Amino acid sequence: MAHQADAKKSLDERGYTGALIRGDNPLKLFEKAVRDRIVDSYYWKEQCFGLNAATLLDRAVELTFIGGTYGVAQKPTPFLCLAFKLLQLTPDKEIILFYLEQEEYKYLRALAAFYIRLAWEKDADVYTTLEPYLSDSRKLKRRIREGWALTHVDEFIDDLLLKNRVCATTLPKLNPRLFLEDEDRLEPRVSALGEELEELDHDDERDSASDGEVEELPNGHANGDGRPGSDGEVVSDEEMDGD
Amino acid sequence: MPPLSSRMTKNRPQPIRYRPGKAEVQDEVSEDEESESSEDEAAREEVAPRAPQPKATSFPSKKLAVDLSKADQQTSAAPKPVPKKQDDDLEGFVTASESSEEEAGGSSDEKGGESSEEEEESSDDEPKKPMLRPTFISKAKRAQQAQPQRSTEDEAAEMERKRKEKADEMLQAQLERDAANRAAGRKAWDDDADINPEDQVDDTDGIDPEAERAAWKLRELKRVRRDRLAIEEKEKEREEIERRRNMTAEEREAEDKVYIDAQNEEREGKGQMGFMQKYHHKGAFFVGDDEQDEEVKKVMNRDLAGARYVDESGDKGVLPEYMRIRDMTKLGKKGRTKYKDLKAEDTGRWGTDLGKKRRDYDGLDDRFRPDERGGGEREQTGANAQPVGERRRREDDGYRDRDDKRARYD
Repeated sequence: MAHQADAKKSLDERGYTGALIRGDNPLKLFEKAVRDRIVDSYYWKEQCFGLNAATLLDRAVELTFIGGTYGVAQKPTPFLCLAFKLLQLTPDKEIILFYLEQEEYKYLRALAAFYIRLAWEKDADVYTTLEPYLSDSRKLKRRIREGWALTHVDEFIDDLLLKNRVCATTLPKLNPRLFLEDEDRLEPRVSALGEELEELDHDDERDSASDGEVEELPNGHANGDGRPGSDGEVVSDEEMDGD
Repeated sequence: MPPLSSRMTKNRPQPIRYRPGKAEVQDEVSEDEESESSEDEAAREEVAPRAPQPKATSFPSKKLAVDLSKADQQTSAAPKPVPKKQDDDLEGFVTASESSEEEAGGSSDEKGGESSEEEEESSDDEPKKPMLRPTFISKAKRAQQAQPQRSTEDEAAEMERKRKEKADEMLQAQLERDAANRAAGRKAWDDDADINPEDQVDDTDGIDPEAERAAWKLRELKRVRRDRLAIEEKEKEREEIERRRNMTAEEREAEDKVYIDAQNEEREGKGQMGFMQKYHHKGAFFVGDDEQDEEVKKVMNRDLAGARYVDESGDKGVLPEYMRIRDMTKLGKKGRTKYKDLKAEDTGRWGTDLGKKRRDYDGLDDRFRPDERGGGEREQTGANAQPVGERRRREDDGYRDRDDKRARYD
């Protein structure tokens, strides 16, 4: 559909004829209360009018924090407003992937990840696209209801994949990874630690083999495995490829 | 001889006061008038063809140095007050500040009376003399006012200049503020002007790469561990299911027995529910988290049924029926209904009808159903469904013979 600067039609729920996400208006992914707060906010009214994918990029690189709504009056963050705008625009997959791949702007990456989690319907795609960024350890500033919090890109993506509610929105249902692995739709996750993890595993086995009966390792162990090493080895070869 | 007076009063006829808008008509003037008023008469007669002039006025009624008929052509020696733009509609009135130069003339007007008008007014009389607003200025202040004031024209120009300057200043301040805001990177929509910078969290990367990498490693390892634990849980469940399937029936029963006995043991320690004790269910949610505190676990497993209040009297079964209520606060209140509790008042047939065979008379009205075969139980409730039986004696009613009509308190 031609790009309409006003995009009022998508806010009107009656005659919506645009892209559908999960069979419904994309804006319905946000709750009514949150939608109202966004549309009434100054940021939305001033900055988010008539954006297209390119100008949205300009706004997104100016972001300085993530978050949902904050304060007594549930004021929405610019992050949330831009995510709402993305839902309104429903840009192509390539554009979103381009946003996600930008190394330089971490908040843009966070925005794209949020959009992917909300909008993409194939679970396997969501996992395969977002999991590589679990190795991005940059800091993110997060605005919570009263004050600020520090989080990291990988923590944020982990939350997106596991939690029910992030940034004032209830995330749509995503099948858990184990379920997808059992159905063979996904490969087990290869952690970014990779070789280091294998080393740790080997250390673990060596230790426990020498100790013999002592199988329970203290909690402080970095690997955190309490299992006997031999079991771990067998299982890890089959299911957790180098995990 | 009494003076002939048409007015029937001994008062002397006063000169008629000026009433604006009223045509002056005076009766014949008596001879007792003072000579002072004769001048007024003369003045009056002079201007008789015009509208009757007020008696008490500072307007010169005598011969004027200036000819009023040539009013427009006159130019006065005294400085004319420039009517200000906003005083267009009040042009006739001159405020105290403007008319200060005429004050001297004005005051003398009032004092001098009519007789001296002509001498003193000629100097400052103008064709269009604005009406003076009579403001009293004390002697001291009068001395101050005597100084020549700047012309009001200059004053107006001065005011303009001042206003322009102020506007310029304000504009300058606004521009500076905008520049400062832009420099600080604050956006127009962002009214979080009072973000405390100390509260804000620092999100610059690369401050301590080693520490950051270590932190990331820790997080990643935790995630990996969490995944592995989840896999293990699932494995354990599957194993358990397999194991039970492979056991024979007797083994299963043996295991179940053990489990149930353990449960009963737990329950033994707890007390029994009394008669009509208030029932509290601890809730079906938030059960059995492994991460619960010890205290929380204790609280969740406490004995609800066996709990007794300190001052509770015990079994309600010994009380009369009137007092058998759950909530003792409702006892004795006027208008208390016979409602006991939901269970007693329930008229539903919870599951009693399931599995019964269909009968011919199933959909029929109560009136047409056959009698119960064999004098069965009263399945049908309702006051009229039962035959009249013997009158139920209520316990607390007192057992009276039918002869006595009232209770005796002998």
